[in-house]
Amino acid sequence: MKYPAERRFSLAVMQDIQRAFNYIPKEAMIEISEYLNIPFSQLYSMATFYKALSLEPKGKYIIKVCDGTACHIRSSMVILSELQKLLGIDAGEITRDGLFSVETVNCLGACALAPVMVINNEYHGKLTPQDLSEIIRGYRNASDESKDDLIISKEEGDGNV
Amino acid sequence: MDKISVIINGKKCLADKGEFLLDIAERNGIVIPHLCHHEALRGQAACRLCIAEVRENGRKRIVTSCIFPVMRDLEAETDTEEIREMRKTLLSLLSAEVPESQTIASLAEEYGKGDVSRFSKDFGNECILCGLCVEACSELGCNAIATVNRGITKKISTPYDEPSAACIGCGSCAYVCPTGCIRIDERNGIRTIWNKEFELIRCDRCGRYYITKEENEYLRQRNGGVQGELQCICKNCRQAETAKKIMETSLEF
Ligand code: SF4
Ligand code: SF4
Ligand code: FES
Ligand code: FES
Repeated sequence: MKYPAERRFSLAVMQDIQRAFNYIPKEAMIEISEYLNIPFSQLYSMATFYKALSLEPKGKYIIKVCDGTACHIRSSMVILSELQKLLGIDAGEITRDGLFSVETVNCLGACALAPVMVINNEYHGKLTPQDLSEIIRGYRNASDESKDDLIISKEEGDGNV
Repeated sequence: MDKISVIINGKKCLADKGEFLLDIAERNGIVIPHLCHHEALRGQAACRLCIAEVRENGRKRIVTSCIFPVMRDLEAETDTEEIREMRKTLLSLLSAEVPESQTIASLAEEYGKGDVSRFSKDFGNECILCGLCVEACSELGCNAIATVNRGITKKISTPYDEPSAACIGCGSCAYVCPTGCIRIDERNGIRTIWNKEFELIRCDRCGRYYITKEENEYLRQRNGGVQGELQCICKNCRQAETAKKIMETSLEF
């Protein structure tokens, strides 16, 4: 185990799990609470307090649509509803293939680019509803390619043995 | 121990150094309204209703009496115009938050209601998030409940709102809750609290249901895991029994 069994590592452990799975599954929560000997209720309290932690599964690509003041007056809600149409999910939900989830945030600190959304760590600014299908397609393709890579490298690996 | 003299609302009160102002007042029959203070569970300091004015060296300031330790002689006022006005604001906000709470409503009545029509909240929950219930449960060592979420969705609950394995159904949380908003339902020997159902045990003497199996087990463990036959006697019967014993021994003299 990377961390000693002490309560003060609760947040660090949850962050690691969040990073690895994009969310913290319930089983993991139970496991952490037992390992660190922290009451389940307190761990859950912490997990629901921090926005960076999620107890619901999230997509491979997390789309954060900014609805801060600057983005809002530049029609961020139109962007959101267009995204919802494209992906067939509401904010807070995840697509059936597990690829995308959508959420809204308050100001990404890039107001000059309003309206903005960020997908994983890439910013997309000065958005128009027309841009979206192109952007989404880009990520879909990237995901397919990375799958192909995986298959190829696996085959190569097998060949070497 | 050093004794300190505190003058509260003109009344001279003796106190130990470090005693909390609210405790000194209560001991001397001076009522300071409070919600989140319970003599067994200290230091929540969430409701701020217990504010008082402290005067020292010609200066005055407002303190939170439930967590204000008195270290030297001083004067305090608990019911000035200014304080009443502050309590009025606090209570107006609280009653906007929990419009259905009787406790808050009657206090707000006493201090006069301010206009809070610009704040509105969903009905159906009288919790003021004071944290007393969480503290009570943690004091027991059960830790079944805690605050969940934050901001306007903050509430008290069990993890995932599910029946908690840690909960023993003792009802201590409900007992200390100042707004009485934790529901306990009891029927046909089943107690339901925090979405969990508990089987109740009857008192060996009077036959009334009085304790959950889990709490009984908890008490048994705490008393060093007493083996063998364990009598289940409810508080009423136990008191009656003790009284009887005292009567008998005193009659022997
Ligand atoms: S009833 Fe359950 S939640 Fe309430 S104090 Fe007892 S153990 Fe804690
Ligand atoms: S349930 Fe009662 S005791 Fe618990 S935080 Fe709410 S008001 Fe306070
Ligand atoms: S409001 Fe959207 S980035 Fe600031
Ligand atoms: S009783 Fe002092 S702050 Fe609530």
